[in-house]
Amino acid sequence: MMTRPAIIGAAALPVRRSLEKSIRDSATEVALDALADAGLGGREVDGLFVSPPGLSGPPGFMWSCALAHHLGLSTRAQALVECGGTTAALALKMAADAVRLGRCRVALVVAVDQRSTDAQADLEFFLKNAVVGLVGLYGPYDAVYGLGAPIPYYAMSAQRYMYEYGASVSDFAELAVTLRTHAKDNPRAEHRKPITTDDVLASRIVCPPLKLLDCSSFSSGAAAVVVVSEEVAKGCSKRAVYVTGFGEHHEPAHFAPLRSPITSFGSASQAARAAYAESGRGPADVDVAEVYGVFSATELMLYEDLGFFDKGQAPRALRDGKTSGEGRTFFNPSGGRLSLGHPAGVTPLLAAVELAEQIRGEAKGRKVDKVDIGLLHAEHGMINGSVVAILEGA
Amino acid sequence: MKEIIDQKTLEAIRHYGDATTEEFYRRLRERRFMSTRCTACGDVAFPPRGFCPACHQRDVTWIDLPVRGTLYAFTQQQRSIRFSAPDVIGLVELAGVGHILTRIDAPFELLSIGQPMQLDFYEVSREIVLHQFRPVG
Repeated sequence: MMTRPAIIGAAALPVRRSLEKSIRDSATEVALDALADAGLGGREVDGLFVSPPGLSGPPGFMWSCALAHHLGLSTRAQALVECGGTTAALALKMAADAVRLGRCRVALVVAVDQRSTDAQADLEFFLKNAVVGLVGLYGPYDAVYGLGAPIPYYAMSAQRYMYEYGASVSDFAELAVTLRTHAKDNPRAEHRKPITTDDVLASRIVCPPLKLLDCSSFSSGAAAVVVVSEEVAKGCSKRAVYVTGFGEHHEPAHFAPLRSPITSFGSASQAARAAYAESGRGPADVDVAEVYGVFSATELMLYEDLGFFDKGQAPRALRDGKTSGEGRTFFNPSGGRLSLGHPAGVTPLLAAVELAEQIRGEAKGRKVDKVDIGLLHAEHGMINGSVVAILEGA
Repeated sequence: MKEIIDQKTLEAIRHYGDATTEEFYRRLRERRFMSTRCTACGDVAFPPRGFCPACHQRDVTWIDLPVRGTLYAFTQQQRSIRFSAPDVIGLVELAGVGHILTRIDAPFELLSIGQPMQLDFYEVSREIVLHQFRPVG
């Protein structure tokens, strides 16, 4: 029995440097809030899909089992999902697919990411773990060159974007300012203080050409959504948000690709194409897009790769007000990764929550007019893999 | 502290790498920068593999990589767990291979995309020798 999966409940905690409560309390809070939002009780849940509760921290071994026990959930479908930055998008996809196939009726998707670490407590202990962790993450060939974060890869991508397409650091700064403007009215956003392009250009250089305010922050957060069958959605008093298309593509590369360009990303364009095909929609139909741009330059390239602008044209579109104007696609009303904050293990679910609220007209101060169709994008590595989902209001 | 980092790096390379990784670093210690080429389809892999990642047959041979290349992209890290800052890294384009991540032995300000580069080596410790590139001339 095939059915159309729909999001009918969504909740998220404010994005902050560290979670205010424990991982378990945070997961419980968003899970119960999402169920209350859906108007459903826990006994109706029969599917649970979670991300590791600290994507770059302690392992999440058996976390779905512990959480099901803690929440008192009896399920017919359950898993912990991990695939870098696409993790929570894939947990959502697994939930939607399980509902679509009739393997469950009411799936709860929960993502928590606690990234704040007490690094200075024992420097030697920290260093030992950091070195091993970094070789694990960046591999035995790249990590030895001193990579402590993915920023150098993205910085080189930004440099090539300037070289190949004539983009400038002012374009990057302009995007950071725009996202900060969006975040101003989002109480969930970590960074809401207004900034100017001069502030961005004067901020500390992290990896040239990227400066501090061109980068997303290491943040913590939690979010949950409830995905149900069409039958359950129709009995819901609020506007259902149907998941009408998914696309996914992973290149055989981890961070720097050996031969592919680093200014256009095949995973994003191919995942988008698949999601557009499955939903029967195209870029022109999308009212709001939540794009996984972890650096200012990267986000501009993604607008292009997702099919919204020709290659190299996103900076001009931004300057002409075509990325957050009425009557066309509005990008990252949440404030995006740069200003909402970026708890990587939760980020795609925060995007789902934002899109659901926009489609249901519940986005309060940051409401975009007349939203029916949303696009969610997530990626891992240096956009070596992407997931795109199309969400549509009933 | 450097000894701790070096020791843990070696352990992690062994844990996360494979027999080919050991071979790659052994050759670097001998100041040879090499990777593997498929004897069937001719694809040059980087990093090296014990099989061909293009056609997936198992017969590969070690070859010397080009000692000259061109600078594809570069940046510098203001903070690095291994090198004192600022630490310049880049992607160097090697003909017939692709663009590979490497250490760059030159000040950031003197570099430009497309610049001809020359292979060199950097000894972190007796056990760990890295490839690096510097501008030609």
